[in-house]
Amino acid sequence: MSAGQGPLSYEATPPFHVPLSFFLTAALFGMAAGVYLLIEPEALASRWTPGALALTHLITVGFMLLVMLGALMQVLPVVAGASLPALRPMAASVHALVSTGAAALAWGLATGRPLLMQGGALLLGSGVLVFLGAAALGLRRSAASQSTGRDLRIALIGLAVTAVLGIVLVLALSRGLAVPLRELTNLHVGWGWLGWGGVLLAATSWVVVPMFQITPNYPTWLTRLWAPLVLGGLALWSALSLAGSPATATSSGQVLAALAAAFALATLLLLRRTRRPRPDASFRTLQLAMGSVMAGALCALIAIGSDHPFWPLAAGVLVLHGCFVSAITAMLYKIVPFLAWLHLTQARVKAPNMKKLLPDTPVRRQLILHTLTLPALLIAAASEASLFTRLAGLLLIGEFAWLLFNLAGTAARWHRTMLEGVPSARTPH
Amino acid sequence: MTTLTDLMTHDHRQCDGAFASAEHHVGRGEWDAARTALALFGRALNTHFGAEESILFPRFEQVTGMSHGPTMVMREEHRELRAALARLERAIDDQDADEYAGEAETLLIMMQQHNMKEENILYPMCDQRLHSQREELALDIGRQLGAGSPTEVSQ
Repeated sequence: MSAGQGPLSYEATPPFHVPLSFFLTAALFGMAAGVYLLIEPEALASRWTPGALALTHLITVGFMLLVMLGALMQVLPVVAGASLPALRPMAASVHALVSTGAAALAWGLATGRPLLMQGGALLLGSGVLVFLGAAALGLRRSAASQSTGRDLRIALIGLAVTAVLGIVLVLALSRGLAVPLRELTNLHVGWGWLGWGGVLLAATSWVVVPMFQITPNYPTWLTRLWAPLVLGGLALWSALSLAGSPATATSSGQVLAALAAAFALATLLLLRRTRRPRPDASFRTLQLAMGSVMAGALCALIAIGSDHPFWPLAAGVLVLHGCFVSAITAMLYKIVPFLAWLHLTQARVKAPNMKKLLPDTPVRRQLILHTLTLPALLIAAASEASLFTRLAGLLLIGEFAWLLFNLAGTAARWHRTMLEGVPSARTPH
Repeated sequence: MTTLTDLMTHDHRQCDGAFASAEHHVGRGEWDAARTALALFGRALNTHFGAEESILFPRFEQVTGMSHGPTMVMREEHRELRAALARLERAIDDQDADEYAGEAETLLIMMQQHNMKEENILYPMCDQRLHSQREELALDIGRQLGAGSPTEVSQ
C-alpha cells in the first residue's frame, strides 16, 4: 500500500451515483423480465425456449451482474483492500457495456437474431473484461490476504469462466460452432450459479452475516474449504462432462449441489443464533434465499434424472429469483441508505439516520410482494397456463418497480438533504 | 501465537454483543436496562478506541512513518462513531424507540464497515509490520481492553 490513505479512506469510496446507476438500471432489467413474461407467457414451457433463455439473461446479467458489479466497486476497497484504478471512467464504461450487452443478448436470444446475440456477447464480454482487469490490478496491489479476498478472487475466476462459456455458446447458436451444446449450457449455468454467484454470495456472507446479524462466525473449516472445493468440483465436473463421462459427471454435479445446500444450511443455522431483537424484513428475506438454495439444489438433482421440463425450470426459478434476487434485494436495502448516509456525512451535511433515508414500511411491503412472486413463478412453471404466467409477470413487474421506487426514494432524500445542506455538528477531537 | 488481528477482532465481537444487548432492551421498552447496556457498550467501544489510539496506532505510525495514512482515517471514523453513540444516548433519554432503531442501524453498519477495514487490512498490516513487538503489544493492549470489557452484559 502506498504512503497515502489508500483504500481505507473515504476518498477511495466512489461517488454515490456510481453504484446507484448500476442498482437502478438493474431494477429496470428486472421489470423488463416481468414485461417479457407478460407478453410471452409460453417462455416458461421449458428451459430451452428462446423466451426462457432471454428471461434468464435479463435476470442474471441485467439484474444480478449489474448489481454485483456496482456493489463490488463499492466494497472491494473495504473488504479486500483493493483500490480500483481510474474508477469513474472504468465504472461508466462497464455500466454502459454490460447494460447494453445484456439488452442486446436478451433480445437476440428471444428473437434468434445472430447479430444481436453476437453484439450482446461482445459488449458483455468487453464489460466483464474491463472490470476483471481493474479488479485484478486492484487486488494485486491489495495488502489484504485473508479468506474473503481469496474467495472474491475465486468468484472473479467463476465470472470469467461463465463469460467465456457464454461467448462460446453464442458462437454455437449464431454461427453453428460445433460444440456439445447441452453439456456446455449446463457448465455455463453451473459456473454462473456456483462459481460466480454462489462463491460471491458465500464470500459476502462469511463477513456480513456475523457482523450485521450479530451471530457467531461460520465454522472456520467451512470458510476455509468451501470456495476452493466449489472451484475444484466445478473444474472436475467440467472435465468429466467434456470428456464424455456422463455418469461420473453426474456424481460431481451431485457433490456441487450438496456443497450449495451445505452453505445454505450453515447460514440458516447461524441466522437462528442472531443476537439482534425482532428480525427485520431483510433478515427474513435472507432466510428465504437460503431455503431457496436448498430447494433449488434438490430440484437440480431431480432434474438430472428426470425428463420432465418442470424440474430444471423450478431449479432456475428457485436459484435465480428465490436465492439471488432475494439476497441481492435484502443487501440493496442495507447498502443504499448507508451510502446515502455516508456521502452526506462526508459532505459534512447533517444526515438523517438510515431508517429515515429508507423507511421500514415500504421495504417490508416490497419484500412481501417479492416473496409472493416466488410461488407465482413456480406455479406458472408447473401449470404452463398463460394466465398464471401472466400473473407471475405482473407480480415481477410490481416487485422490481417497487424496488426501483424505494431506492430512487432514498436517492431523492439524499439529494434533498444535500441541497438543504445543514452542516453536521462535529464532535470534539 | 495470538496475532494482533485475532485479539482486536475478538474485541470487536465483544462490542457487538454489548450493542445487541442494548438494542434488545430498547425493543422491549426496558429503558433503564437499555441505558445500562448502552453505557457498557459505550465503555467497551471507547476502551477499544483508546487502546488503538494510544497504543497500536502510534506504534504503527512510528514503524511505518505513515502518520497521515490508514490510522488517520480510522481515527476520523472513531470520531463519527462516538458522535453516533451520543445520538443513541439521546434517543434513550427521549425514550424514542423509533429514533433509537434508526440510529442503531446507522451505527451498526458504520461500525461494521469500519471493523471490516481494520480486520481485513489494517490489523494484518500491523501484524506484518510490528511482527517483532507483537507479543509485548498484545499484552499491553490486552490489559487495557480487559479493563473496559463488557463482562456484565447479558440479555
